[in-house]
Amino acid sequence: MTDLKFNRRQALLGIGAAAIAGRTGLAFAQTAKVAPITIVINQSPWFNSFQQTVALYQQETGNKVSLDVNPFDGSLQKQRNSVRAAQGDYDILIMNSGWFAEMYFGGFVTPITDIDPGFKLDPDIFTLGDTVYFDADKKTMTPQGKLMSLPIQPLIPLLFYRGDLYKEKGLKVAESFEDLFNNAKALHNPPKIYGIMQRGARGPNTVSFDFYPYLFGMGGAVFKDQAAGDYSVVLNNDKGKAALDYYLNLAKQAGHPKTGSIDQAEIIQGLTTGHAAHASIVVAAWSQMDVPNQSIVVDKIEYAPTPHVDGVPPGPALGHWLGGISHNVSDERKRAAVEFFRWFQTKAAQIANAKVGGIPVSAAAYNDPMADERKFRWMKPLAAALPHAINPYAFPEASEVISVLELGLNRAIVGEISSADALNSMSDDIYKVMEKYKYKTAEGPALKA
Amino acid sequence: MSAPRHASSTAIVYALLLFAALIVAVPVVWIGAAGFRTQISLLTGELFFQPTLASFSDVLFSASSDFLMNYRNSAIVGVLSTVLCLVLGTLAAWSLDRLDWPRWVVHLFLGWALVFQMMPPIALAEAWFGMERAVHLDNTFTGLILAHATLNLPMAIWLMGVFVRDVPGELVEAARIDGATGPTLFWRVVLPIITPGLAATTVLCFVFSWNEFAVALNLTARDTATVPVAIAKFAQDFQIQYTQMAASAALSILPALVLLLIGQRYIVSGLTTGALK
Amino acid sequence: MALTGSIDTAAATMPRRRGRNEEPYWRWLSLSPALLLMLAMGVLPLVNLFVTSFNDVKWSAGSAIWTFRGLSHYGELAGDPLVSAGVVNTVLFALGAVAGQMVLGFILALFVSRIPKGKVFFRAFFILPILIPGIVIGAIWKLMFNFDFGLINQIVGAIGIPQQDWLGDPNLALLSVIAVDIWHWTPFCFLLFLAGIESLPRDVFEAARIDGASVWQEFWRVTVPLMAPTIAVTFAFRLVLALKVFDEIYLLTGGGRGTATQVISYTLYQRFFVDDNVGYGAALAVAVIFVVSLLLIAGLSARRGGGR
Repeated sequence: MTDLKFNRRQALLGIGAAAIAGRTGLAFAQTAKVAPITIVINQSPWFNSFQQTVALYQQETGNKVSLDVNPFDGSLQKQRNSVRAAQGDYDILIMNSGWFAEMYFGGFVTPITDIDPGFKLDPDIFTLGDTVYFDADKKTMTPQGKLMSLPIQPLIPLLFYRGDLYKEKGLKVAESFEDLFNNAKALHNPPKIYGIMQRGARGPNTVSFDFYPYLFGMGGAVFKDQAAGDYSVVLNNDKGKAALDYYLNLAKQAGHPKTGSIDQAEIIQGLTTGHAAHASIVVAAWSQMDVPNQSIVVDKIEYAPTPHVDGVPPGPALGHWLGGISHNVSDERKRAAVEFFRWFQTKAAQIANAKVGGIPVSAAAYNDPMADERKFRWMKPLAAALPHAINPYAFPEASEVISVLELGLNRAIVGEISSADALNSMSDDIYKVMEKYKYKTAEGPALKA
Repeated sequence: MSAPRHASSTAIVYALLLFAALIVAVPVVWIGAAGFRTQISLLTGELFFQPTLASFSDVLFSASSDFLMNYRNSAIVGVLSTVLCLVLGTLAAWSLDRLDWPRWVVHLFLGWALVFQMMPPIALAEAWFGMERAVHLDNTFTGLILAHATLNLPMAIWLMGVFVRDVPGELVEAARIDGATGPTLFWRVVLPIITPGLAATTVLCFVFSWNEFAVALNLTARDTATVPVAIAKFAQDFQIQYTQMAASAALSILPALVLLLIGQRYIVSGLTTGALK
Repeated sequence: MALTGSIDTAAATMPRRRGRNEEPYWRWLSLSPALLLMLAMGVLPLVNLFVTSFNDVKWSAGSAIWTFRGLSHYGELAGDPLVSAGVVNTVLFALGAVAGQMVLGFILALFVSRIPKGKVFFRAFFILPILIPGIVIGAIWKLMFNFDFGLINQIVGAIGIPQQDWLGDPNLALLSVIAVDIWHWTPFCFLLFLAGIESLPRDVFEAARIDGASVWQEFWRVTVPLMAPTIAVTFAFRLVLALKVFDEIYLLTGGGRGTATQVISYTLYQRFFVDDNVGYGAALAVAVIFVVSLLLIAGLSARRGGGR
């Protein structure tokens, strides 16, 4: 698990630390080698697994890590407070896909390679849409930028479906959008069970997140080429229209009658109470499906990557978590944080993380025999989908764009406006937002109704 | 109060009150019961369920839980901020009403208090964090107590302002003639009369402090976190852990309820004193 | 003190309120603690908010960059659809919810004050909803309003009314949220009105009884006028608090279908916190405070015109 370089470094640090602390070294595993660090993180279904993994780290290396656990929004608030102060309270920030761009652009995260030039990202680690990199000059996220963070949890949506009902009706795994539509229709039997439940409610990142796999999976996009810094709005091109029309049609023919009010909690509810035959939701929900106290469809749910058209890979959007090192803490603590990352990205740590219910970020864990177990049947589909995961927004003002999408998509779903009108107005508003913040942008031609 | 005139009107009053109590009760009981259910039982909305203590034990004893500590923190902050708020607020209310301040002072003070009440908690919380950080008061009980007292002070001043108005001028005059000085007058004459209002304001200040979230989140860290911060953790990024939230809510209501029941006796005894005037 | 002379003259015209003040130290001692706390904790945030509203604050390389924008944020407010929807919904919400709470609270307080036995029970019972944290109320009511499984639809279905999408139907969403708020905050009004009623001097009621006043007359001619200060203060505070309502909206509807339940505080949350657009958010907050203050001053002056 540990390579020679790691051992030597540890030993050197250990001698240093012992000399300073004046402690007699106990067994290797028990003596602290680096400064204690604090991680600020949010409470979530995968938190318990992370906590146990951190406990394992402490046990194996003797380094101290404390966790400051917060509600979801609270974690962002705490992180902002900490990085904006003169001295930071937290060494590692667990950043959500919704705000890591803010942290990168604001200069609040110190690149890992600046702290330790020898640090190499394990080649098995999924780079998750290259969001771990950032070029501070060009303000883009490409592998040419510096390594800013380590993936902590690679959350993307998967297609959850009722494997038992598939068997009953002789259906095959849905790969294309036609497959999904046909299968959903076949299982659609309201009000007992809906063919599919879509997350159509308006929220902070609700219907947009649900829509991305359809949009990206059909070859559509919001912007032309974010990696190159080209933010021309292409949402209302023919692919975008196809995606939205499909999404609306699916809801009408095989979905919930109140799709416009359905949020993720209701979808999970729908699945666990046996009321939904399909749902595209974040993979982390897997842990609820097989727990008898939380579900009546134990062992009946199967997983697949979200559908796609021929020639285009599946396009699940990232709702992931990255770990970044805060800029305003001491060098000592920054180095200690890097040590944690070094351990966390190893295959053994990742497998341990998965075993206690986490979702590993290393392909090595997915190639482990544990992925063949029934309990971990979500791993193989996830491993197939992760390399294609798309980061919808590589800039900090994304929340305003998301807000536009939320309103427009929601209105289209409840039938207030047509899909063409929705796409045109959303594109127009997004263009205005990007212009306001002086990004290189342009507007496409309006769709005909 | 004046006794009802007919037995039948009393019966109607009781019937209506019981109906109202039912409407109040059903959601509260629902929340309370939810803490004893399994998640799936709550989601399917079944009427009869097998009770379990799993959620309570999760809330109290799980590895990531500090609930008992949060409880203690909320109690400390709640009691002390309420005391501070009441003392400052009641004195200020009495002062503004009876101690010959020019009208513009009274208007300015009360108006300012009301305007302050309108400040959005998020903006306030962020500003206070910056301020308290500068004097190392962040993540301390003192910092949060001061913040909560400030938050509830406008309400305390205004509410006690209403109740001090009811102190009869004649009584105050009589006491002055008897030689009572300001503080003694306040203690001996005013306080007993405003007891029902005092009790009501105490309950409100305590409850508001106990349930306050936005400011508490910003001004605390792990060791000073309060109950609402702990409860908020159950509303997570893509799901709500309903049964744990309900269990923690049930636990959260207990002290306020106890305070209320104890306070009741005090209100009732205060009433009897008031009736004798 | 120089002002004492003029105040004594004023005192002569208001016999019931003014007394000779021989203790300026006590006058200051009783007010200063509150004054100090408000100055120390209250002034800076408000000033900060005000100043921020004229700027843009962006972060780069770990430090803040302030750009002066003058009144431009205030100008943008009118053009923001979330603001206009916010204002309308907030007004509707505040008026509907506050009116409901006050009426219900008053009725309940009146009833409870009259019953011979069981006061303690009812008093404790009716206060329960405000003991519950806002997040929990939002979360649990969301469950109860659930279309497929919620308690409300179960009850409603049992008595034959068709099941509704309480939180999703734009016509019902705001009403549902108002209903939750009424359920949540009536105890506040109840508590205050009860304390108010129980503080009323008995002699006035005795006199009215002797004069032969009916229950109705007693209520309108005696109780309500005597309770006027309590009613006014409760209204003012409930209104101000209703304008800040956030937890319930956040959990119940997230701004509602379309913008059906988009209230100002939610818009503020989106702009100030989520978008991190603190300059614009501050302008919104200041504008709201300004407008509401004007309204309250107008309202209170009108009342004062009726004499004390």
